[in-house]
Amino acid sequence: MPIVTEVFEVLAKTNAAKRGMPYQRTTFVPHPVWGRSAEQLRENIEGSSPVSGNPIMEEIIQGLTRPLNAEEQKSGLVEVSAESSIIGPDSEDNLIQYFHDDGMTDYLPFVLPTKERVEAMLKGTSHKRDEIVGKMSPAADAYEPWTFTVEQVAVNAVMAGAKPEYFPVILAIASSGISSMHSSTNSFVQSLVINGPVRKEIGMNYGIGAMGPFSHANATIGRAYTLLSKNLGHGQIPGETYLGALGNAMTYANIVIAENEEENPWAPFHVEKGFKAEDSTVSFFMGYGISSGQGTVAGATQNDPKFDREFKNLFDTVGTLFGAFVVLDPTVAKNIYEHGYDTKQKLIDFVFKPAEGQKPHFRSADSISFVVTGGQTNLYYHYGSMRYMRTISIDEWR
Amino acid sequence: MMRMRTTWLLIAASFLGFSTLLKAQAADDSQITVYNPRGIPPAIELIPMANRLESLDGKTIYFVDDGFLGGDILLDEMIQWFARNRPEVKTVFRKKGGMGFAAEDPELWAEMKEKADGMVMATGH
Repeated sequence: MPIVTEVFEVLAKTNAAKRGMPYQRTTFVPHPVWGRSAEQLRENIEGSSPVSGNPIMEEIIQGLTRPLNAEEQKSGLVEVSAESSIIGPDSEDNLIQYFHDDGMTDYLPFVLPTKERVEAMLKGTSHKRDEIVGKMSPAADAYEPWTFTVEQVAVNAVMAGAKPEYFPVILAIASSGISSMHSSTNSFVQSLVINGPVRKEIGMNYGIGAMGPFSHANATIGRAYTLLSKNLGHGQIPGETYLGALGNAMTYANIVIAENEEENPWAPFHVEKGFKAEDSTVSFFMGYGISSGQGTVAGATQNDPKFDREFKNLFDTVGTLFGAFVVLDPTVAKNIYEHGYDTKQKLIDFVFKPAEGQKPHFRSADSISFVVTGGQTNLYYHYGSMRYMRTISIDEWR
Repeated sequence: MMRMRTTWLLIAASFLGFSTLLKAQAADDSQITVYNPRGIPPAIELIPMANRLESLDGKTIYFVDDGFLGGDILLDEMIQWFARNRPEVKTVFRKKGGMGFAAEDPELWAEMKEKADGMVMATGH
């Protein structure tokens, strides 16, 4: 017998049905449980379910003892009828409204995926349109993943306004199976770090304002990630497949970072992960998001900044679930380099190492990641509680 | 005179009809089809529910905390409720292992298969 709080009624019922248990007996209790005292919870369970109206403890006993009916004993395969691959014919205005009303957009103006536009996008890859790219769900293990083809990824890339030359990057992102629309109540966000020649080839920005709205490629690749996570990864239904309490503004276009390899004093991030410098890759990070290091009490103010010690102080305030993700302007990276850290690993080891007699703050040194981007207008950096997931090839999707 | 008026009327009617036809054609031209951006959901394998107990008398029910904050307190209150109201039911509290709420705990599953008659898990939060 599962016990679920009332606000997750729709999620619990639809998810149980999708996992083959449409008649699962679930008892719903008042929400929330977290933050309630034992006395309050006792009062709750001695009362009635806010969903069924039945006394909660009696419903649990009934759930464990009432004989199964015929429906509850059924087995077998139920085919889910796939939606039509074509929508319309209808007017452009009506179709735009339909896409918004059906939750298939980010509610900003988008490009309708007509046949001509999708055909043009498909020219951005050598892969066949009906090839299966991968599977995706809003949370691994919690939802059955949806499958999608090259053509379906192209449809979402068109909607985001991407150009065909960006398509291998978007296919690589989709092939990861990592959704940017996590179902968690935490309102998690994804970051993508792009490395290799593809950055220049498609005109990504890794100079001034690298993480801002100053590049068509950065912007539309990030937006495509959100759209494909909603539409291909089934992450589009608040209350059912998206439960973020507050949501996250960074999920509109995610945190897209093209690394400034040219001004990075260390090896490019993808080379650290075992790829060659001439490979083009995308690396995935997941967590709560990032903000400026200048907005913290640990921020450097002296003429000779000691960033290594600053990070050590700062990371004590970062949660250990994900670890620390730091995006350095090249000026900061070069300053650190000049202070004796000729490899990034030396910096990570210094920051990770606890004071004598104390335990490390993070589980392992792998919990700390640094990447380099920006236009060198000042010695600034962003940081946040985010975890490195993995790096995959973009070249395989050309 | 009458014939001339009739002719003009016919010309006017033809023009109006042609104009309507052109408008309809234009409306059809503005209708477009687009691709559906959604992925492909999997088929569903129906899972029969586990057989139920005839009664809880003398039975052992496990109360399993999946790790959401407060779930342990909620389950403890349920265990205490059984102690007060249904003392003939044996209750056992366990915290599910593994990293994350959805992680498997094979050791606990094996223990329950051997020793439990029923299980209550919380919290779906």
